Amino acid sequence: MRLIAIIFLLLFIAAGVVFGALNADLASFDLGFAQLSLPKGGAMLSAVLLGWILGGITAWLGTSLGHRRRRRRERKVESTTTA
Amino acid sequence: MNPIWLLALVPPLAFACGWWLARRSHVKRSGERVNELSSDYFRGLNYLLNEEQDKALEVFLRLAEYNRDTVETHLALGNLFRKRGEVDRAIRLHQHLVSRQGLSDEMKTVALLELGEDYMRAGLLDRAETLFSDLVAMDALAPSALRHLIAIYQHEREWHKAIDHARRLEAMTGEDESAMIAQFYCELAEQSRQHGARTEARDYVRDAFACQENCVRAHMIAGRLSSEDGELEQAIASYEAAIAADIAFVPEILPPLLNCYARSGQMDRAEAFLREIMERYHGISPVLALTRLYEGRDGERTAIDFLTGQLRKRPSVRGLMALIDATMDKVSGEARENYLILRDLTRKLLEGQAMYRCSRCGFGAKAHHWQCPSCKSWGTVRPIHGVANE
Ligand SMILES: [Zn+2]
Repeated sequence: MRLIAIIFLLLFIAAGVVFGALNADLASFDLGFAQLSLPKGGAMLSAVLLGWILGGITAWLGTSLGHRRRRRRERKVESTTTA
Repeated sequence: MNPIWLLALVPPLAFACGWWLARRSHVKRSGERVNELSSDYFRGLNYLLNEEQDKALEVFLRLAEYNRDTVETHLALGNLFRKRGEVDRAIRLHQHLVSRQGLSDEMKTVALLELGEDYMRAGLLDRAETLFSDLVAMDALAPSALRHLIAIYQHEREWHKAIDHARRLEAMTGEDESAMIAQFYCELAEQSRQHGARTEARDYVRDAFACQENCVRAHMIAGRLSSEDGELEQAIASYEAAIAADIAFVPEILPPLLNCYARSGQMDRAEAFLREIMERYHGISPVLALTRLYEGRDGERTAIDFLTGQLRKRPSVRGLMALIDATMDKVSGEARENYLILRDLTRKLLEGQAMYRCSRCGFGAKAHHWQCPSCKSWGTVRPIHGVANE
């Protein structure tokens, strides 16, 4: 299972490298506050990476916040019933 | 469609992938925690089964501390507290459980039932009664609640309410509780008899017979009522019917029965009856009764001959003691000293003996109880048959 995952990872990295090499020409981006020109492939890959990381952070924040909220509510109920 | 627009789908897709993976790994991690919890749980269970209740308590407390969702753990913990006699802690725990939000109705009723048992244990019978009554009214876990209610009414000797609820239990579960209800009527009859309400007592005896046709206790109460009213024939018939209903109660029934025979001057009939009983009953009571009868009617010699003959067939310490008492006057000197030692010894032997035992829980008693003081079941306390007992 782990081996398959590693092989897939290497495949995707190779694909990324190939994709980057094939689209090495610069493209200019206007972000409103700044103008920058990046290789097309690199821009694409960093967009994917950024999305991935943001998704992970959102999921993590969602579960841990929900946990804390429930914990707090339970504690309140407990203190009112045992008082 | 321009393929460049398809590229716009890639970042959201990556976002979704990252989100899903993070969720999954979290679930997996909490799954590991559940495993850890259940190993704790089994450790606690193990302690519990090994009767190491202190350690079990500690483990369960910790478990409940860092996982507040495990209702079963709380219930087990409450049970543990109650068994240890820490009823106030059990009550607090169950109250907390009942007041907790998001508990399923089923779990809540279980917790309520446990709370009621806590109250019973703490002696707060009125609170337990209202709680169980509510449960019965809600039709939740009603059979268990009804059983507890019946136990409460028995304890408070509110026999009418006990009868009502026992009938409801019968209707609900379809189980036959008539023997128990008959005992409740017998209690009522006894109560009335002691207060001098004799017709009322007879009515209750009739009710008892309506529940259980051959209720030994009802026969005995009927016999006692008749004998007190001077209706000796009637009393003898009732007592004989009681023995016919359950021969195990011979030691209880013989003394009043013989009294009735003596008062009506029918000693020959008594002898015939005792002879007949001896065929079917293998205890010592009828032998001793016959010995006493012979002693009064035919003289000491016949009585002693009869007793020694019987003692060979059914060895019994009580029989031996009767024999020693009867022959005491005939010996003198050193033999008499030995006889006195023997008599003391047999008396000591009998002193510590339980004469009755509950056939259900093994509780031993010196006197007869209709309701076992230990397990509270009715009519299970019976005479012990053995060399040193009956
Ligand atoms: Zn018992």
